[in-house]
Amino acid sequence: MLYGCQHRGRDSTGFALYHEATADQLMLRFLVGDGSEAKGAIDHIKEILQEYNATIVEEETIGNNYRVRVIFTGDIQAFSYALDHAAKVISVGSSLEIIKDIGDAHQVDERYHVQSSLGTHGIGHVRLATESDVKPEAAHPFWATGFADIAIVHNGQITNYWKMRRALESKDFEFRTENDSELIAVFLAERLSQGTPLEAALAQSIEELDGTFSFLVSTKDELGFAKDHLAAKPMVKYESDELVAIASEEVSLNRLFPGQTISITEPLPGTYFTWSK
Amino acid sequence: MVQVDLATLSVTEANRTMRQLAEQGHDLEVINPDARHHIGVGLVAPVKVHIRGSAGYFCAGLADGARFEVDGNAGWGLADNIYHGSVVVNGNASAIAAVAIRGAEVVVKGNLGSRAGQVMKSGTLCCGGNASFMAGYMMYGGRLIILGDSGEKVGDDLTGGEIYVGGKIQSLGSDVQQTDIGRDESDSVMEFLERYQLPFSGELKKIVNAGKKLRYKNEEARTRPIPFFTFSGTADYWNHKVQEDIFIKSQIGRYRIRGYGASRPLPHFTDLAFKHDLSAAGTDADVLDKIDLETKIGDKSGATPLSLSMPVMIAPMSFGALSKSTKVALAIASRLSRTSENTGEGGLTDDQRREADQIIMQCLGGRLGWNIHDMRRANALEIYISQGAKPGFGGQLMAKKVTKELAEIRGIPAGIDLRSPSRHPDILGADDLIIKIEEFREATDYKLPISLKLGAGRVRDDIKIALKSGADFVELDGSQGSTGASSSEVLEYVGIPTLAAIQEALDGLAEIDGSGQIPIVIMGGIKDGADVAKALALGANATAVGTAAIIAGGCISCMQCHVGTCVVGIATQDPEHEKRYNVPAEALHIHHFLENVRWQLASIVDGLGYTDFRQLGRDDLVALTPEAAEITRLPYAPEYSRKPKPFAQFKTLLTERF
Repeated sequence: MLYGCQHRGRDSTGFALYHEATADQLMLRFLVGDGSEAKGAIDHIKEILQEYNATIVEEETIGNNYRVRVIFTGDIQAFSYALDHAAKVISVGSSLEIIKDIGDAHQVDERYHVQSSLGTHGIGHVRLATESDVKPEAAHPFWATGFADIAIVHNGQITNYWKMRRALESKDFEFRTENDSELIAVFLAERLSQGTPLEAALAQSIEELDGTFSFLVSTKDELGFAKDHLAAKPMVKYESDELVAIASEEVSLNRLFPGQTISITEPLPGTYFTWSK
Repeated sequence: MVQVDLATLSVTEANRTMRQLAEQGHDLEVINPDARHHIGVGLVAPVKVHIRGSAGYFCAGLADGARFEVDGNAGWGLADNIYHGSVVVNGNASAIAAVAIRGAEVVVKGNLGSRAGQVMKSGTLCCGGNASFMAGYMMYGGRLIILGDSGEKVGDDLTGGEIYVGGKIQSLGSDVQQTDIGRDESDSVMEFLERYQLPFSGELKKIVNAGKKLRYKNEEARTRPIPFFTFSGTADYWNHKVQEDIFIKSQIGRYRIRGYGASRPLPHFTDLAFKHDLSAAGTDADVLDKIDLETKIGDKSGATPLSLSMPVMIAPMSFGALSKSTKVALAIASRLSRTSENTGEGGLTDDQRREADQIIMQCLGGRLGWNIHDMRRANALEIYISQGAKPGFGGQLMAKKVTKELAEIRGIPAGIDLRSPSRHPDILGADDLIIKIEEFREATDYKLPISLKLGAGRVRDDIKIALKSGADFVELDGSQGSTGASSSEVLEYVGIPTLAAIQEALDGLAEIDGSGQIPIVIMGGIKDGADVAKALALGANATAVGTAAIIAGGCISCMQCHVGTCVVGIATQDPEHEKRYNVPAEALHIHHFLENVRWQLASIVDGLGYTDFRQLGRDDLVALTPEAAEITRLPYAPEYSRKPKPFAQFKTLLTERF
């Protein structure tokens, strides 16, 4: 599907993939760079792991990522904020792994063997870097900083970004970028952590976030979308008994069914929906 | 019927093949379309095209005469700007179906996405299902038939044309009303539905313009124009112009409108000076033979570039704001001085095309005058995002200027206070812009350079998008740039000066390692060869002159361009006024002015010891004011602004410093 959407951007590509969770285990992914820089970052990460009594189950360095599975049962928010001071955290989750880097979908797939990964659901993104430089940390999907297993991909612009961010910061949530997609992720994660169902959190996002956006959110068990009232950012959906697929354009969805005419629908402006695993 | 297989051909190859086959009269069948974009763009032969599946963005865009049928769905901008022929979609169409169509019949059997028929001029768009919000937004003519429900704000700010709704009208847009439907109309709609086998048995409701926003309610009092030089540059708060301004506002109760750009003093190229002694410059009669001023612009992605005898173009100004005679004079001058003319918003007339050797055709959000045939006879295309005089705002053309001829070219009703949309229907983000540029490339077979015109607002961000969009060059316009009509507060206070604009553009590119990767043509208040030389030294690749060119051609700077009764026949469509304009004489005046700019530029390049204008650089410049130094980060050296008399003393000063 991302190949079909490549014309919208080929600066960076990312995937948020969900696997079956193992009890009391967390998969952590970091951006550590190369060579000695990577070694320093990994050493630093391990110090934090020790400090928080996280036991390493398996670890791997792939591309410029460091990926480590740990046994951890403490406060994930404090743990992940601490980790983030050691190296750039890409994702934290019992079943979530985010893979993202600069390059188009083919290049990132080749570097990280995305095709060989098995799982239940996921979201992906191709990025056209327009305001900032092309950097792996600016690629989507965004992890909801501080919250396990929540990821987001987003097309659009949140115009009340600073207002919303300050409100969340006053509740001691931290932000790692100035990207509005991270804001959406943290906004939703905060609502979910308060016990709000994803569906209701999406409804609130449409009313409270200002701007123009189409976004997808995924959690361990759910997948959802929201589209603002102006609907300036496209979104189309294919749904059958076996599969739900959502993309910016039909040309992406059609990649799943080459040569066929598929029945798709376009979510109406100001609407949202969720699916459970 | 000949098959074209998109499983084996790229869309570009398929479109080329389709064009060739269509010219030979073959009907076409497109298989494996898989919702790809730009299928059938620019097809101008009366053949049938059957698309066996879904089509992506801009299917049948900029076509003329062909009859398309799409088995599946269609993406954004179905039948964009189509002239004649028909498009039938058996599924749904996404946003802005039939955007800016100028004729043709577009039928969508399923539902329509938002803003269907935006800025359409004539023809019919019909949908069997429901339409999303703002169907018929800012339409200028034609008819829109919605057999299902209308969606919110149907017909918002439409100027002309009719909307018929079979189902529920969710809500009416601004300045529209529901009205009775005549027997003839109803018969004509039913005949259309029958022809396309669309079953319908209910009652149609008709929506038309309500006439409340087409004209400004209160006319602005005419005053004896107080010319530019008597009110600009003074620290006097309650001068005559300010008093006049307050008085007129007290009478009309709305913003005022005038022509020209920012008139208050702003940092400008005048606030820069050359570091080196130029006292010898201008003494060499053969300077033009020594200095290379030739430049090509627009070949970044393989298109045929504009070939300019000097890095000075004529800025975009429309037939509409200006009289046809003025546009012809500018065209002649551009040919004589071997540079380029630009259509502005007003479309391309045969006279302009005949007289100009190189012409850039501008595409705006209202798509006024925009069409495939004129695109193909232009030498470059320009996507107007905004302009320096009023960044972020749409165009205005007062009723007096919207004559029958002009209305016809633009495809709008005559005699309205024309307000053009402030944004493009199909460019709502950088990714959309890429797809739009690709459509124009498909339509013109990748032969024409495509530029982006940016009004100076958030230049640092915009230039990065421009670089990523794939455009061949950027035209950047600062707030000293003029316009035919805008609100006076906007002219004065919205946007940033030209000097700041070029610096921000260069800084923005540097931030993403994009320096030198996209040529920048800077404009807005450039008045002579010295300004041009300074702009080039700062880092622009070329410049354009608009106001200076029309002043050279007789403009008296009264700033009443919007009124339509220009005493010298420039900013008018009134034949009585226009006949005062002597085209051959003014063309020569503009040409002479351009030649003077050339000579000044060459002399400065020569005086600095260079042989090519591309050798000019920041090191050649200093700033004379703290503001200009702050903006450009050039060294602040006010001593350079000392009057050059006595000349010897000035020379000594220079010698002492260097």
